[in-house]
Amino acid sequence: MTGSLDVLIIDDDRDMVESMEIILESKNYQVRSANSGAEGFRMIQERQPDLLILDVMMATETEGFDLAYKLNRHPEFRRIPILMVTGFPQRMAEDGPESFQHIMGEDWPVTKFLEKPIDPEVLLASIEEIAGSKVG
Amino acid sequence: MGVGHEIIKEQQFFRKELRERVFWFIRLRWLAVAAAGAGLGAAYLDGLALPFLPLVLIIAAVGAYNLVFRDYGQRLELSPPSTAGPYILFAHFQISLDLLALYLLIWLTGGPASPLTIFVIFHVILAGILLSPASCFVYAGLVLAALGVTALLPPAGAAEGEAVDPLYRHLAFGAGVIITAYLTTSVKAALQSKGRELMGVSRELELSNTKLTSLYEMIEEVGSRTTFQKLLDSATRNAARIMGVKACSIKLYDQENNCLRFASTYGLSEDYLATDCISVEMSAVNRRIIEGSLFSIGRIEEESYFQYPENIRQEKIASMLCLPLKAEGRTLGVFCVYSGESDYFKESETGFFSLMTDLTAMAMDRLKQEMDRTWFLNKAAHQLRGPLNAIMSMLHLISGGYLEPARQLQTVDRCQKRLKILGEVINDLLKLTAQRREPEGRAKPEPLDPAEVLNSLTHLFRAKAGEKELSLEVEIGEGLPLVEGSRRLWDELFSNLIYNALKYTPPGGRVRVSLGRKEEGGLIFQVADSGIGIPEEDRSRLFTEFFRAKNAKAWEEEGTGLGLVMVKEILDRLGGRIEVDSQVGQGTTMTAFIPFRSIPAGEPEREGTA
Repeated sequence: MTGSLDVLIIDDDRDMVESMEIILESKNYQVRSANSGAEGFRMIQERQPDLLILDVMMATETEGFDLAYKLNRHPEFRRIPILMVTGFPQRMAEDGPESFQHIMGEDWPVTKFLEKPIDPEVLLASIEEIAGSKVG
Repeated sequence: MGVGHEIIKEQQFFRKELRERVFWFIRLRWLAVAAAGAGLGAAYLDGLALPFLPLVLIIAAVGAYNLVFRDYGQRLELSPPSTAGPYILFAHFQISLDLLALYLLIWLTGGPASPLTIFVIFHVILAGILLSPASCFVYAGLVLAALGVTALLPPAGAAEGEAVDPLYRHLAFGAGVIITAYLTTSVKAALQSKGRELMGVSRELELSNTKLTSLYEMIEEVGSRTTFQKLLDSATRNAARIMGVKACSIKLYDQENNCLRFASTYGLSEDYLATDCISVEMSAVNRRIIEGSLFSIGRIEEESYFQYPENIRQEKIASMLCLPLKAEGRTLGVFCVYSGESDYFKESETGFFSLMTDLTAMAMDRLKQEMDRTWFLNKAAHQLRGPLNAIMSMLHLISGGYLEPARQLQTVDRCQKRLKILGEVINDLLKLTAQRREPEGRAKPEPLDPAEVLNSLTHLFRAKAGEKELSLEVEIGEGLPLVEGSRRLWDELFSNLIYNALKYTPPGGRVRVSLGRKEEGGLIFQVADSGIGIPEEDRSRLFTEFFRAKNAKAWEEEGTGLGLVMVKEILDRLGGRIEVDSQVGQGTTMTAFIPFRSIPAGEPEREGTA
């Protein structure tokens, strides 16, 4: 890998953002953050990140999904891998991604799901998994 | 059901009647034979001079042909004819033979003077019952003619007691026969028309029974839906089917914008639905429906009610019926059915559709309440989960050795702060649920002095204001009346509004609190601050659970979004209301109006004693 991984974190919880920033910076990743879907999209337009860490529920229940969809339909940004973090672990664990089918439709623009609270080891492993498979 | 079907049904009904009577006639004849036999026996024992042998033979002949009739009747039963013809013929045959037998008997027992003469009346009655009125009168004529013939014939038997005045008697008897024919046919006609009426009623009952069954099935289906859209779609589809109309729609009432939006339709084209939210202000028709009146047009082409008449013409709608969907006094929307026929909706349809509308509204209301509960639980869980997740994530950082000692302390601080918020959320949730659980009319509400309640809280606010260097003015009016309600409610009402003002006012600002008497009666509680204000677009959602205005979130991290919900619910309970006046960056004034309620007897208002 030439240069460090460019990661954008979008979450409306400032403590969550800061925690993830600290974890990612410990690996010398280049980290930016946004507190809303709209702000995040602006930052993606400014510079396309290598990876997006996206919270599901922000101001609205599906703000994270809405952005994921928007990116998925975007010719330029559709290839950005998305690591989705969610505060509803039981729903994800029990039903898997199907539980979101009614919101998501057929396509599945999310690369991987991660439950909150964030365990640093798990977060880093997930990022490496996504980045590794992408870089080769 | 077609008209043809109805006629056939009616014919079947009357044929059944005729058939039953024919058999009854045969049974009756056995009695007649037995009675005649017994009479003859009595006459014989009495020593009357009568030609017994021919009489016995005639009675035996009647018995014999009755056997044949019974046999024929049973055969008719086995393979019922498709028309009434054979039965009518059968009846004619029986009456004619009986009359013949009777006249032979009369002739043999003394002609017109015979005591049996009176029995001819029965045949006229039977003809009246079994056959048409015309046939009945023909038989009456025949009876009279035959009687004349028997009078002219030489008496066959021992003619004792010759008629003294035969003409006079014959005339009276003839009149009796004609009157009998008339009475029988009239009564029968009246009974038949009653029968027809009853059939009509039974037809209507059957129809309404079918409709009610369909309605029951519809409501069962509608009620089983778990999403609002599915519920509405099921209602429109079923309504169109049951009402037998081409189209149906449900528009939902958007209270905020005072307009109606198509939410579910059946049988209407996309073009028709393309209209935006229909302003209630602009549409007199919709305003009337929303206010609760029924709206029905029989001939749309003749009326000029609509803003877009060409749209309606394109849909080939000729008549329509609309009713408000109401539940618990609130209007949820408007339910309409559209027909391609003019004047389709009669009184019975309107009544039925009104029932359907009310039941649909109830199903909508129930689902909404259920969804609100689920939504609240979901939101509450998220509200608790959020800080918890953040705290645990931060603790992971510390335990994982990601932070230097100085940063660790900072993070613990953050954790504490989030825990404090978590505690507040839990407190507010508990308070809110306790408030909601509290029974509406408590046995005997304690009379409270609102001034005293507010006064006792003031020192708490002063401390908080002091921390932020805010100026706090509290003004309590003189001679306020006692109020009812639990102290806790009033406490919550005052402190939530005042704390909000203190929280969203920058240091150096001011908060003015006043409690006074409203001129037209009631209390006014007002809190005015020089705080950050509430943006116009956020004001309508201010009193929904967990909602926080954007600038409020940015300004102050802490906040549960439940305080104003409690305020609103307390005011609802006290019968009061709240007004919000605000300008972003300038400040907010919240004014609560609380009406006086009667204080239990024996507790004079303070005003009276002052």
